Amino acid sequence: MAIDAARLAAGAATPRRRWRHFDRSVLIWALLVLVLLVLVINPLARLLWTSFQHPDTGAFTLENYAAAYGRWRYIEALINSVVVGLAAALLCVAFGVPMAWAVSRTDMPAKGLVWAAVLGTFIMPNYLGAVAWILLAGPNAGWLNRAWMALTGAGAGPFNVYSMPGLVLVIACYSFPYMYVFTRGALDLVSSEMEDAASTLGAGILRTTAKITLPLVLPAILGAFIVVFLEAIALFGTPALIALPGRFQVITTTLWQMFEFPPRLQMAAAYSMPLLLITVYLFWLQYRIIARKGYVALTGKGGERRLVRLGPWRWAALGYCLFVTSLSFFLPLLVVLQAAFAKAWGRGFSLDNVTLRNIRFVLFDQPATRRATLNTFLYAGAASLIALGLALAIAYIVARRLVPMGRALTYVAMAPFVIPGIVLAIGFYAAYTSKPLVLYGTAWILILAFATRFLPIAYTNSDAALRAINPELEDAARILGGGRLLALRKVVGPLLRRGLAGAFILVFIPATRELSSAIFLYTTGTQVLSVLLFDKSDEGNFELLSSMGLILVVVTVALVLVGFRLVGRDFLLRRTAT
Amino acid sequence: MITRILMLVVAASLALGGPPAAAFDGEKALYEAAKKEKELTWYTAHYNSEAAAAICQGFEKKYAGIKCNYVRTTAQVAYQRLAQDQKAGIAQASVISSTDQGHYTKMKQDGWLQPYKPKNVSELVDAFKAFNDPDDLFIATAAGLVLITYNTSVVSPSEAPKKWTDLADPKWKNKVSIGHPGFSGYVGTWVVQMKKLYGWDYFKKLEQNKPRIGRSINDTVTMLNAKESIVAAGPSATTLESKAKGNPLAVVYPEDGAVLMVSASGILKNAPAPNGAKLFMEYLLSREGNEIMVSQHQDPVNKHVKPMTGGKSIAEVKTIRPSLAEIEKGIPEVKELFRETFGI
Repeated sequence: MAIDAARLAAGAATPRRRWRHFDRSVLIWALLVLVLLVLVINPLARLLWTSFQHPDTGAFTLENYAAAYGRWRYIEALINSVVVGLAAALLCVAFGVPMAWAVSRTDMPAKGLVWAAVLGTFIMPNYLGAVAWILLAGPNAGWLNRAWMALTGAGAGPFNVYSMPGLVLVIACYSFPYMYVFTRGALDLVSSEMEDAASTLGAGILRTTAKITLPLVLPAILGAFIVVFLEAIALFGTPALIALPGRFQVITTTLWQMFEFPPRLQMAAAYSMPLLLITVYLFWLQYRIIARKGYVALTGKGGERRLVRLGPWRWAALGYCLFVTSLSFFLPLLVVLQAAFAKAWGRGFSLDNVTLRNIRFVLFDQPATRRATLNTFLYAGAASLIALGLALAIAYIVARRLVPMGRALTYVAMAPFVIPGIVLAIGFYAAYTSKPLVLYGTAWILILAFATRFLPIAYTNSDAALRAINPELEDAARILGGGRLLALRKVVGPLLRRGLAGAFILVFIPATRELSSAIFLYTTGTQVLSVLLFDKSDEGNFELLSSMGLILVVVTVALVLVGFRLVGRDFLLRRTAT
Repeated sequence: MITRILMLVVAASLALGGPPAAAFDGEKALYEAAKKEKELTWYTAHYNSEAAAAICQGFEKKYAGIKCNYVRTTAQVAYQRLAQDQKAGIAQASVISSTDQGHYTKMKQDGWLQPYKPKNVSELVDAFKAFNDPDDLFIATAAGLVLITYNTSVVSPSEAPKKWTDLADPKWKNKVSIGHPGFSGYVGTWVVQMKKLYGWDYFKKLEQNKPRIGRSINDTVTMLNAKESIVAAGPSATTLESKAKGNPLAVVYPEDGAVLMVSASGILKNAPAPNGAKLFMEYLLSREGNEIMVSQHQDPVNKHVKPMTGGKSIAEVKTIRPSLAEIEKGIPEVKELFRETFGI
């Protein structure tokens, strides 16, 4: 540990001792809380106000709520969304947790491949994945169904993507990376000592894992569960492509129709407000579950971490990882590649149907794409830095109880995720087109919107990372006379750095594919790729959609790889000494 | 009079032969005034983004020194953005091109538009002139058809449906694809027209075939290419564009009439580039502008410009269309009926 004890002790003896005792960091906390309030409360409050406004007169009214909840159809959509969200989150646990465990704690082979596939999954825009899944599991002509019929001679295939289970599967496929990354981050911090204790007492691998390892990472799993649930509810692209032909509505498809002419913004705002209550309830639940237990895994001693030897089972573990990533990445990628390099994708596989024309068009002939690509990564990068810095500070304030009512800040930090982006965009628009912050037309409106929107992911991550650090480590520094800021810089910072590279990626990637708020906020010159992609998905031009999606995936993967190299983190899972 | 007709004929033949079309009255003065504004921004839901980009490029090439910015979105998003701009007092867009007729009525009522009668309106296909605003606040600048479309690798031309009622034939059970009137103005207009022709019974029968309902009318193109559905009520431009790439698609001009969609453009009252906007409206109606539209597989609105190969000129086709009043009254009505019948 790099704590310069001698210097700290010397510092404590200087004449400025009294001033030292005043915790100057309080001012910084106050400032950060203020930034959080401006960034989140400002748009949300305007949205809340909108939900009570009469569409014509602007006077206070409850009519919007009556209209939004007065019809069974709207309530049914709400129920559907909650069911889809819960089911998708559970499926993500089934997908992500075993994979995280296998990669983090076992001697499973080909870990680099599995991680790359998870990364690829995470980068692929969900509506692109959804179109790919329609081609894979369409009831009439899906590739999987045709393969099934050819193999079994049956008259019809068993898969139907246009159904509730189909929607759940597709959403889970593109959300489980959250579960994987959160869980893996936490597992990487659990030392083998506790597991050894269980083994010594005669517990087998499974029992040790179930009784010791997994409970230790429960906060991370719960955090990811909430993120996945909220994302599933707020998603628009996938349900529009799958739920509508499957003949059911969810919250976002219902909301979209409220934007049809004549737009009923006030009703849309009212319709999405109760989602905030769901979020508050989830966090309260999480708090109840983990509040009374200790989850401190990272202590001052550098615990040793050994890999569990799985023996022949390591191939089974790899098999499972490849099964999941085939569903989420390899099979859809095949579809996307076919379309991206096809003259006409409806003609299927054939050599004379292969062309580079689509890729060339997107890369060179269309100036809009280049500009948008640059913007996408620039804005996502800036937004991630802002979100992460703020989230970390807030999580710290909450965890160490530095200000009164700290827990309320959690809800504030998590709120932006649950309001569907198309509705949240109204709040952003209102917040940044009127004084004091007039940002419309600039890149900053997008950057701040992205930062606000993904603050919850940054927050959940920072929170989980901080929970794993025993406060005693800081206390040690402070007992020796160091101020809080010094303890942060010298103790907490170095311990967190490892987790932060992962957290950055977790915010950066969703920001590169964020669509729903961008679509209302961009102007000429500030387009981002997701907007161009969404336009393509609406234009029936699947060849170009796939080409642009492919470019987004390839460029993001390259950037992330370069990023890891620059940061020098253990991208390929080499263990680092603590 | 005779000389004028002669001049028109000469101009028309010149246009078909390739050389640039004659300038309109006052073009030079307008160009000079527009140059001072330097740029203009166009919110458009017409065409797809490639076509919008190509039209902007063509405009910039013809009128050097004026930058053309397009924000291409769906009609609802375009209107929503515009409404936000108006509310916040921001003057961003100069020209608006929506596909939803209801938007124009509302914009007119709210006083967001300024009148301008383009000189090139004389070249507009005559049948479309009825869709221009009598007060010149919006002018028809884009057209398209809703047709019967099918996948040729599964359906032969002789088997293909010939008229709209054929889509309800039990032989297409689970094989039909349509859009949703709650998401697409094109689909909304089509539904209103079908109800007008055959009553709501048409959709009750269609429901027996369990059609695949997408969001936008363009989703039918994806459904057909994937062979998830094999016949559809689809759009002319997107389908023909996909066909031109070599996809196994074809269109049928229904015997009972292709549904005509005419979409207008208008100049905003608070346009930051009013002269650029006027020049741009002229360009949207001009021959050069329309030739670019055709090269992008869109239907031309200039009567002297020939449609793309593989498609028929709208003038040669039997078209049907509800009146503006019928659309405005009908669309909210059929959205409700649609939800009752199809459950979404």
